[in-house]
Amino acid sequence: MGEEMKSDVKHNCENHERCMEMIQAVLDGSATKEEMDHFRNEMTSCLPCIEGHELQKSLKDALSVKLEKKCCPQSLVSKIKEHVGIASVVLAFALLEIKLIHHIF
Amino acid sequence: MEAIAIMEEDIDNEEEVLNREEDKKPRYSETEKYKVFDSEFMPHIDSMYNFAFRLTNDEDGAHDLVQDTYLKAFRFINSFQKGTNAKAWLFRILKNSFINDYRKKSKEPAKVDYQEVESIYNSADEPQYNGTVDLRTEMVHDLIGDEVAMALNGLPVDFRTVIILCDIEGFTYEEMAKILDIPIGTVRSRLHRARNLLKEKLRSYATSMGYKELR
Repeated sequence: MGEEMKSDVKHNCENHERCMEMIQAVLDGSATKEEMDHFRNEMTSCLPCIEGHELQKSLKDALSVKLEKKCCPQSLVSKIKEHVGIASVVLAFALLEIKLIHHIF
Repeated sequence: MEAIAIMEEDIDNEEEVLNREEDKKPRYSETEKYKVFDSEFMPHIDSMYNFAFRLTNDEDGAHDLVQDTYLKAFRFINSFQKGTNAKAWLFRILKNSFINDYRKKSKEPAKVDYQEVESIYNSADEPQYNGTVDLRTEMVHDLIGDEVAMALNGLPVDFRTVIILCDIEGFTYEEMAKILDIPIGTVRSRLHRARNLLKEKLRSYATSMGYKELR
């Protein structure tokens, strides 16, 4: 049974770079329908593509899970809100002043 | 429907373009501006900070970049259509601010030609994969966060950017094309190149740490 399976799976990929680009598009959720069909076919018949898919998936998982995610310091959040808030207050005062001047004259 | 502010001019004229877009888009009242800023922009600040940190490799640089981006976003808030992809819109502003700063610091008068940068990496002299991977899945599983970070930080900034946007922030190719102002085909090929470079860095590191390469 094992020998039969081995003979069905090819050990050389004629256009591996193109296949890897397609495999990455599948993993990134951006593959076309044709690429999805080709991918399904390669996953049952091409050993380099099967290995390439496993490796790419583990790399993608490592980047999203193992890499520390930096959070914005609360001091910066407050500073930004303060800047934006102050700008709004200044503008509100300027508009009020214009209205008052308009009312007086 | 995606309605990211279209900025078709180069980075030097970005503020001009944002000003022009402001004239076309509905204006918000002052209360609405603050509401949009708070409800649609602020929720993305952690992702923005993470992206800024990965670009600059520096807490102070990330701090300045995020602050600059958010103040710019508020200033040009009328260019943003409420309910559309705020995250992609903000990332684009941050990316452009970073490139402008990067250019100023390197003191180059001409803008960075990313096509040229990419062509260096597409050189025919580079070894091609023959279908046998040197970096093994089990090696990747054994790597720790710092090692992955080091490999990522070692990539040229344009390649690091696409990996961050895709694998860490989860943007689609279409969103990345709009953020980076490049065709989707270029997004795909740049990602492919970036990942090959990353694998090479990780392979070298894993080999130096004593992993045996299995063939």
